[in-house]
Amino acid sequence: MTLLLKADRVTKKFGGLTAVNRVDFEIEKGMIAGLIGPNGAGKTTFFNNITGLYTPTEGQIYFDGQVITGLKPHLIQKRGISRTFQNIRLFGQLSALENVLVGEHVRLHGSILEAFFRPPRVMAEEKMARERALDVLDFVGLGRKIADQAARNLPYGSQRRLEIARALASDPKLLLLDEPTAGMNPQEKRELTDLVRHVRDNMGVTVLLIEHDMKVVMGISDRVTVLDHGEKIAEGLPQVVQKNPQVIEAYLGTGAAAEGA
Amino acid sequence: MMKKILARGELIAVVLTAFLALILGGWQIMLIAALAGMLIGLSAEHKANYLPRAAGVAAFVGLILIAITHFHNTSLSTLPGMEHIPDQAKTVGTYLIALGVIIGLAVLTAWIHNLADERKRQVYFIGLMVALAVFFPFFEQCPGLSWTNFKFVDMAAGCSEQSNLLWIGPVIVMFIYALQAIGLNIVAGFAGLLDLGYVAFFAIGAYTMGLLRSQQLGSQMGDPDFFRWSFWIVIWIAAATAAFFGLVFGAPTLRLRGDYLAIVTLGFGEIVPIVVKNLYAVRIFEPISLFIGQLFGQKSSDLMQFCLLGCGAKPLDITAGTKGISPIYPPDFFGYTFTVGEYVPWYFLALTLLVVSAFFIYRLRASRIGRAWVSMREDELAANAMGVDLIRTKLTAFVLGAMFSGFAGAFYASYTTLITPDSFDFSISVIILAQVILGGSGNIAGVMLGSSIIMLIDRVLLDKLKMVINGVLQGLVFKGIDNQALAVFWTSLTDATAYKILLFGLILVVMMKVRPQGILPEQTAARRRAA
Ligand SMILES: Nc1ncnc2c1ncn2[C@@H]1O[C@H](COP(=O)(O)OP(=O)(O)O)[C@@H](O)[C@H]1O
Ligand SMILES: [Mg+2]
Repeated sequence: MTLLLKADRVTKKFGGLTAVNRVDFEIEKGMIAGLIGPNGAGKTTFFNNITGLYTPTEGQIYFDGQVITGLKPHLIQKRGISRTFQNIRLFGQLSALENVLVGEHVRLHGSILEAFFRPPRVMAEEKMARERALDVLDFVGLGRKIADQAARNLPYGSQRRLEIARALASDPKLLLLDEPTAGMNPQEKRELTDLVRHVRDNMGVTVLLIEHDMKVVMGISDRVTVLDHGEKIAEGLPQVVQKNPQVIEAYLGTGAAAEGA
Repeated sequence: MMKKILARGELIAVVLTAFLALILGGWQIMLIAALAGMLIGLSAEHKANYLPRAAGVAAFVGLILIAITHFHNTSLSTLPGMEHIPDQAKTVGTYLIALGVIIGLAVLTAWIHNLADERKRQVYFIGLMVALAVFFPFFEQCPGLSWTNFKFVDMAAGCSEQSNLLWIGPVIVMFIYALQAIGLNIVAGFAGLLDLGYVAFFAIGAYTMGLLRSQQLGSQMGDPDFFRWSFWIVIWIAAATAAFFGLVFGAPTLRLRGDYLAIVTLGFGEIVPIVVKNLYAVRIFEPISLFIGQLFGQKSSDLMQFCLLGCGAKPLDITAGTKGISPIYPPDFFGYTFTVGEYVPWYFLALTLLVVSAFFIYRLRASRIGRAWVSMREDELAANAMGVDLIRTKLTAFVLGAMFSGFAGAFYASYTTLITPDSFDFSISVIILAQVILGGSGNIAGVMLGSSIIMLIDRVLLDKLKMVINGVLQGLVFKGIDNQALAVFWTSLTDATAYKILLFGLILVVMMKVRPQGILPEQTAARRRAA
């Protein structure tokens, strides 16, 4: 297996608080990796470091063999890392279709003058972009009917899916999902788990997901990494990690639902 | 009661018609009829017989219109200070045509409004608006109006009335402001960047036109006609200059967020007129001798310096300071020279500029660039994470916005033939922003509507209202009372134009309360597409 992403002793400090502390992390192509840990463990901060929203205080991040540490978010996205957010961040006023089209932004090339004169090349590009966006909406199970609805008017579960669709539209190599099943009922969670597997199997996208619900992570992850207080405390196959006493303590210690484990 | 019989739009049409007919009267009956007709058509819901219904409502409103207009024509217009209404405007023929206009437009608009095909609906509606806009100046000019009596009236008799030309001048100015408003809409409406100094680019466009098409610079160079470049080239240079300054101002500042950006842009709007005001005595020396001389401890007065600019007996007067630049040559068009006071060619030039710009901006919004703008406004961080280059995207918005303002400024300079630093006051930035917010930030059609409303209130309606109130006070209330001081006090107290800024402020506050998205909100477009 080839290495896709590698984090080398990544540290992120906010003033006196070390949110992520010397975390080493690797992910191979084609995997579904899980990142778990109690609230405030530094999982989202770790994501933000990878996607360029934060610059690591120390350490390096490599993607596809190249250093991406400190690059601007849009450049990292262009290289093939796409993400969703823990608290959904859609473009509420835009239609579902336009949301997905923004996701395709880096793949499109029309200039200002071309936007006005609409030469055939740009028309074709735009048409293909729309087709593709509709396909992606289909793929994530939203269907084409909702394409023209404003994103903020969609039900919660659909918004989560739309965010995944938007992230997939750029045809990324790596998809980062930040608690994609948060706030869902068990039935919806199962469906979303299926979607994640579907993304990996049929689009060939490598997935790294943060998940609070142990059941979900254990169900789909090929490998699980556990963060606590910014430090990596365990890593390995789900079944093994689950029995790690340190992990159990971390979860029990913060009063989080450990019975799932 | 009324509410059940009439839809909300129809009710607005009634109130608006009554009010406008009361203060305008005369020929303006046609404009009011057109406006009310479209309003009624737009509020026609798709029901079984919506067309006859629209016609019925229009006929009803039309009768109100005629009654009130007739009252204005025969009674109000005789009060002191009121404009004389030409006889042709008071005939049954005129009234019947107005009735025809209101019913016809109501039915036509209702039909278009209820077309199933979204695209057709849009195209037809734009077609209708453009047709009305093209028709308007002929209609408003005297010869056109005379046709409303089915015959050519003796032009000298009915048409010498100045009041016939009431609208076209303000409408041209309205187009200039609308052009700026749709430009600002790119910056503030699409990209979500609060620009409080938009007038800076208006000024830059205007002064570029002024400098390159007047004797201001040429006369100091010995050849007064040196800067008389073609209008059609200079308008592009003006837009490019404004865009360039947009880049210069924007590049270092667009990293700022929200309030900070607003404050910095506010500064631009203030700085540009001040700089312009002070560029009337310019003499520039090369700075290198000074620097080296000072290095060796010499006084600057002992130095031999090479003069670079403004080296004659008098320093160079670039902008003429507060006096302003004038006269600015009007455009030529294939041998025809535009002239002051002959409005129709100006009108069509402004209309063309506006329509082409609106079309351009519409297409930009529909492109990947437009999507990037709006996504940034909706959620900057998410847009960035989705691959939108924030700096670049903000800069394109800022520069393009500046460009359209530059076009507007260049046209404005030619149209008024005189520009002074005072014509580019901070209040212009605010009024344009108010137009954007009132009409519907992010919606091109809405923004143009906002422009029309504010500009017509500003340039026409308040003057007329003042006239009517004055007339009533002078002619009826204070007629029998012999107290001049009281009359003067009341007339100045009821001077509607004095409450302009208060009124705009009130409009904005009320809008924020009842309809913060503006009259034509952006999202209706998305919702309609879904239908
Ligand atoms: N921008 C920030 N500034 C200061 N502290 C932050 C910031 N982002 C996160 N933190 C802190 O870092 C810690 C880790 O947060 P986070 O990564 O969101 O945890 P998780 O996603 O695992 O729940 C928390 O204590 C949080 O308060
Ligand atoms: Mg988190």
